[in-house]
Amino acid sequence: MNYTFTLRTIFPYFDTLALGIELTLTLSVLAIVISLVIGAVVAVMRRSRLRTLRFAGAAYVEVMRNTPLLVTLYIVYFATPALGIRISSFSAALLGLSLNAAGYMAEIIRAGLIAVPRGQFEAATSQGMTAWQMFRHIIFPQVFRTIYAPLGNQFIAVILASSLSSVVAVNDLASWMQTVGANSFRFFETFVVAAVVYAVLCQAINLARLQIGRMLFRQPELRA
Amino acid sequence: MSETLAYVPLFIKATGTTIWLSWLALLIGAVGGTAIALLRTSRLWPLRVVALLYTEAFRSVPILIVLFFAYFGAPVMLDIDVSPFLAATAALALHASANMSEVVRGGIESVGRGQWEAALASGMRMRQVMRYIVAPQALRVILPPSVGIYITVLKESSLASIIGYFELTRTGLMVRETNGGGFGPLLVLGVIYFLISYGISLCGAALERRYAVGGASTDAVVGGMA
Repeated sequence: MNYTFTLRTIFPYFDTLALGIELTLTLSVLAIVISLVIGAVVAVMRRSRLRTLRFAGAAYVEVMRNTPLLVTLYIVYFATPALGIRISSFSAALLGLSLNAAGYMAEIIRAGLIAVPRGQFEAATSQGMTAWQMFRHIIFPQVFRTIYAPLGNQFIAVILASSLSSVVAVNDLASWMQTVGANSFRFFETFVVAAVVYAVLCQAINLARLQIGRMLFRQPELRA
Repeated sequence: MSETLAYVPLFIKATGTTIWLSWLALLIGAVGGTAIALLRTSRLWPLRVVALLYTEAFRSVPILIVLFFAYFGAPVMLDIDVSPFLAATAALALHASANMSEVVRGGIESVGRGQWEAALASGMRMRQVMRYIVAPQALRVILPPSVGIYITVLKESSLASIIGYFELTRTGLMVRETNGGGFGPLLVLGVIYFLISYGISLCGAALERRYAVGGASTDAVVGGMA
């Protein structure tokens, strides 16, 4: 093995690295926001009184969680033009990633809703609260507490999964590794750089989650 | 859709390849994951640190870039031949072993200290304690989440198509190309993956009910998307 690790060889490519990281982050953040919205809708559907809505919600979750993200991405990427819709590869990746992530988000949010006892809803209604007040002051704080930790893990999963967007021609971080590696034959260096960036992003979210969680969910101080 | 029907034998064969690849990776991942979990629960702290780094590293790096490295990087670096199959198996197994080690560790830790102490006090050796006391109890906790890990590996195995390995996804893409585009074959892919994965997850749910011992549920342990 006469391969020497020299980061210097890929210094010229560091300007495109910044763009790759930026794309990965933009894609992930947008996908997280969109999937949270879809996930919340699906979670509420699964608690609906209408059987059709409950079934549709459950079907959505099961389909998304049991098909590979790569296949979802390919379907979105190839089906949109076939149906006469023109979207950029970034939009296709964003859509596929969001649809897939929403299946997981929905389950997390549903678990949070289930954790709120029925009596809480009844008590809030009997206090004369409006639906919004009930959500804002009674339901949301409790749901948020339950879903906080798993949501953090899911955000990390979205960042990692966003790497697949490189397959449908989005120039994200994974694509940077692949392109620069192929151009310079310095695959080890590009791999190490990409791996470190991904790991730092994930661990940063993890630490932020723990730190913010400690601040938000501080035990109320006991007064003597 | 009708022209896709002619490809049914091809799809069946490709499904077999996908299942074989994912099982192999799961098996290697389970053995590797158990080894890492034993290191994680070791009494020597350097071993614990190494195991923790391994687990965290593979859980915070996308499997795709590990795959790229195994296929494109390793041959240049180590001057060896790497087939798409080898690269895919290695990347999937490495990733699975990191997830598996967390599950196995949870299983080992679910067996109370008292059990260890009692077994050691009755004159058992460490090996015997592991074999006769800890393993049988840990297995009940390990089994249900392992089903979740298998489903993740199965879905991740679709990435092998990117480096040109002819498993299910690659076959679907090829059929799509020979049929002049469209997305019918891709829907077929989705349906096949869904049927396998959903079927297995139903089995997993049954296992979980049967062995319910209040351990972590399948979803909670691995939140990975694939």
